[in-house]
Amino acid sequence: MIIVLKISYVFLWEQETMPGTNREIHELLVDYTGALRDGHIPVFLKSLTREEAHRMASSQEFWDATETARILNGAGFADKAVPPNMSLFISRVDAEIASRLKKAKVSPRAKRRTQPEPETRTERKAERSI
Amino acid sequence: MNRRLRNALEGLTNPDVERRRRAMEPFVRATFGMFTRYLYRYLGNEVECEDVLEDVYADIWENPDRLRNVTTEKQLLRTVYLYYMRKRLREVYRRLNRNLYLSQTHMKNLVAPELGVLETMSQSELRQALHRTLGRLKARERRAIELWMEGMSNRAIANDLNTTVGAVKMLEFRTMLKLRKMLHDYCPED
Repeated sequence: MIIVLKISYVFLWEQETMPGTNREIHELLVDYTGALRDGHIPVFLKSLTREEAHRMASSQEFWDATETARILNGAGFADKAVPPNMSLFISRVDAEIASRLKKAKVSPRAKRRTQPEPETRTERKAERSI
Repeated sequence: MNRRLRNALEGLTNPDVERRRRAMEPFVRATFGMFTRYLYRYLGNEVECEDVLEDVYADIWENPDRLRNVTTEKQLLRTVYLYYMRKRLREVYRRLNRNLYLSQTHMKNLVAPELGVLETMSQSELRQALHRTLGRLKARERRAIELWMEGMSNRAIANDLNTTVGAVKMLEFRTMLKLRKMLHDYCPED
């Protein structure tokens, strides 16, 4: 009885919180184009379920239509993008260049000392075993 | 290519790093608008465009060899996309991808795809091609795309067309496929 209740609760919760799951390919495309237009692609990517991702990957029509979506996005909205403060942007680029120059000047010995930390657990394990 | 951009490009391909650094300012001023408009197609967000471009310009400063033989603006855009932007674009959502169901390859194709014939077109060429192809669509299809390009939601489009949201989604999908075919017919590959 408890198990049945639990399953129905999970089912209802999924129904309420994820109304867009199991979208068809045309719905996926429309959601992608909307996300592209509104500038929130990560939200769209996070909303994908395993089945939807698989559906997207195997549909040639989807990939064809994404090209048009990009074109429409560029033609319709790129000119409306707010231009930044140019001097500020140039100083940001210059700071990035300065930082790269500085990195290039660091001696190889110091470079070895400042090697980045291993990111994944497997990398850390592999390093420890050495 | 205008004179200002040509001079900036000459400065950029100088072997001296400090000269290249000084040449960066005119280069950024001459190309920022063009590069942002192009990147906007893929990101749809000014802030991300700026972040990506910051790295792109630094990459160009570090290794400008690819730009040595560039003579036209179209060629410049193509070269910058293929050798500098694409790499950076692919990094934008790479970290996010660790917890997603979409594979790395498909993610790359979605964020920074191979360069199609339509994607090498300049903004003005594109607008012209779109204007012509939109005119050849059915009235309902054209209306749906025009409303979408005005920034309207699917519900608002459905209200305008007196139909359901589901029907609008299907209409947009079919129209986009149709538009792609028409645009390819309009500008066949070289």
